[in-house]
Amino acid sequence: MPDFKVLQRCRELLAPFEPDQGDLLAALHAIQHEFGYVPADAIPEVAKKLRMNASAVFGALSFYSELRTTPPPRNQVMWCSGPACRLKGGDNIRLVFETVLGVGMEGETPDGALGLHLGQCNGTCEAAPQIWYNGAVRGRLQVADAVELARRLKAGDYQL
Amino acid sequence: MASFAELRAAADAAWAAVDRPQKPQVAVSIATCGNAWGAEATLARARALVQARGLECEIGITGCNGLCFVEPMLTVTWPDGVRVLYGKVTPERVEGLLEQTIVRGERGGELAVGTLRGSVPGVAPIEEHIFWRGQVRHLMAVCGIIDPENIDHAIAAGAYQGLSRTLAMSQDELIKLINDSGLWGRGGAAFPTGRKWDFLKVARRTPKYIICNADEGDPGAFVNRNLMEGDPHPILEGMISAGQASGAEIGYIYIRDEYPLAVARVQQAVRQAHDRGLLGENILGSGLNFEIRVVRGAGSYVCGEETGLISSIQDSRGMPRIKPPFPANAGLWGLPTNVNNVETLANVPLITRNGADWYRQRGTEKNPGTKMVSLSGDIERVGVLEVPFATPIKAILYENGGGVPPGRTLKAIQPGGPLGGILPKEGIDLVLEPEPFRAFGVLMGSGGLILCDDTTCIVDLCQYFSWFAEDESCGRCTTCHGGTQRMTEILRRVQDSGGRMGDINLLHLIVDTLRWSNCVHGQAAPTCVQNCLKNFLDEFLTHIQERRCPAQVCRGLIRYEVIPERDTEATAGAAICPTNAIKESGGHYAIDQGLCIKCGACKERSPAAIRVVDAMARPRVTALPEPLVPLVAAPAPAAGH
Repeated sequence: MPDFKVLQRCRELLAPFEPDQGDLLAALHAIQHEFGYVPADAIPEVAKKLRMNASAVFGALSFYSELRTTPPPRNQVMWCSGPACRLKGGDNIRLVFETVLGVGMEGETPDGALGLHLGQCNGTCEAAPQIWYNGAVRGRLQVADAVELARRLKAGDYQL
Repeated sequence: MASFAELRAAADAAWAAVDRPQKPQVAVSIATCGNAWGAEATLARARALVQARGLECEIGITGCNGLCFVEPMLTVTWPDGVRVLYGKVTPERVEGLLEQTIVRGERGGELAVGTLRGSVPGVAPIEEHIFWRGQVRHLMAVCGIIDPENIDHAIAAGAYQGLSRTLAMSQDELIKLINDSGLWGRGGAAFPTGRKWDFLKVARRTPKYIICNADEGDPGAFVNRNLMEGDPHPILEGMISAGQASGAEIGYIYIRDEYPLAVARVQQAVRQAHDRGLLGENILGSGLNFEIRVVRGAGSYVCGEETGLISSIQDSRGMPRIKPPFPANAGLWGLPTNVNNVETLANVPLITRNGADWYRQRGTEKNPGTKMVSLSGDIERVGVLEVPFATPIKAILYENGGGVPPGRTLKAIQPGGPLGGILPKEGIDLVLEPEPFRAFGVLMGSGGLILCDDTTCIVDLCQYFSWFAEDESCGRCTTCHGGTQRMTEILRRVQDSGGRMGDINLLHLIVDTLRWSNCVHGQAAPTCVQNCLKNFLDEFLTHIQERRCPAQVCRGLIRYEVIPERDTEATAGAAICPTNAIKESGGHYAIDQGLCIKCGACKERSPAAIRVVDAMARPRVTALPEPLVPLVAAPAPAAGH
């Protein structure tokens, strides 16, 4: 059964969007902004409003790396995969987070409290190598710093 | 509706209030780079302090002037017009700085980076700062000076003045002006802008579209972000001129998802321009209509390719298409479209305001004007700068950028994004123009320069760029997604000590085959590997033949060990080991190789007690069993490449 509250809210959010105007990305962002992800029930609503096939909506949704089809973890370590960070030990930082937390990229802990996400360079290379923790940059990390951060997260200290 | 003269007069008055203010103006640089260092907290602290202590000053914001290496920054403008830039103003330091400058009126101090206007004893003018020298800041003229969220500041700085003059021109006159200036596309393809607009102008079907490509997906390039966050209006103005020249009435600005501040500021700029009659219908009474819609991306590198971008706007996955047809004939929804880069469009107002001859005073005959460059990697000073074309790379990297860290040597320079290729250290002698780069087999690209020192492993770097190309491949053509996948697998295997001599030829084969991909993503993906097989072949052979990584980066080829003579000193290293691989027995430490993941944390904490050794090293075989030549001749570059 579709969740009617979700459907109702989606219809409200989708009201300003029109077919053939380039509104798909904005529509998906609006829904993700509300729910933290794009629920499956939202897909036919988007399709209806933008006069597209639901499969095409899902195709776009799964194409873009920043759109989610599952609820996000409550806390997120986004690892910068960029070259400046890579040159300064970024790959070892990834290894440390994955090993200590026991999750791979795009994975999350079983309780949904913490997830790892692969991020792209956004040009704050002055802070390389870095991760973002819940959106805030943690930069100039030595691998040892990454171990300490990962251990605190593993211990449940999500305030960091 | 206000005339431009009226808009300008009002803007001048608003700008004068902060430029020659009644009381000191404190402007915190709020941009993505500064925010990474706490600039928002600096701003909040400054505001709180002014409130709490009733300090006699105003607090505002600016964009980033490119000196990312001294973030967070703020400027103070005094009533007499003197303006000083302060750097590394962390939230903890704000109170002290405000006390010094606002309360005690002392304008220098240890946080002063330089004077932006006027003079202060003991503080050098910013033009003498090593990062500023050689720069010609036309595009960046007011980045870090004006409030990017205030259109009046932009108009007072000259925004829309060029437009107000050229609105009366015919389409052909305007296109001729741009052609005469010699402006070409800054996104990497370097196509003459005037000619591109002309293709759109002669296209017969309507509506036509102008798209601003603000996807800037190249890791290490953040020049467009700097403009969008620091001075967005010239971009809009350039789009309006493009619309006028070509007959397009609708513009899209496609900004990557990773730049939320740029999205917000550009959206706000569009709204403000609309309110002032500079966008919408009958712009400045000229009869010209132009609307701009901002589209926010959602994470996809190929949406920076013009046909991928078009697909992405078109309610779809951002999958590139084969060209021809080119967007000028069939673009957005199959209608005539031009896709222009942010920096290209920001150059247009410089030309409409000052003329083609003025524009040609900088740069060279073939490459007039300036280029914004972002520096990152193994470099002393990370930031954004703007220099005329033909500036020597050595000056940019070694003087402005400060070169590689002390004690290291230059190994390679990575220009133009992941598809740009890799220059060996001889590339330091090039000048900033597309032709010398192409002669070296690399692309100058959109302006990112990443410096690699001797701690870089070329094979690892190639694997990174291969992985990136694979990860971002749209998947439509097997050539690209299969080729990049295979290239990455082979490079990973080489890194894991499984390299084979046949791998060199295999890589050549894949490189040549990838040139047949449907779009530039696959076509340019192997550039890096191709450059490195040519310029760093020995390093590949060392990995493959000797099972050794000279930079000791490839985890499959190294081992961490406790130095036997110092095996009691590894306490800190043992404590930090994420897998508890460093075992202690009677005060002596040893690494359990079965648990070690080779992350290097132990060596950081116990540098005297831990060493990295070449785990698999063996002597090189001198007679090579196979010829090291490409198996197939490389085809001529495909159209659009």
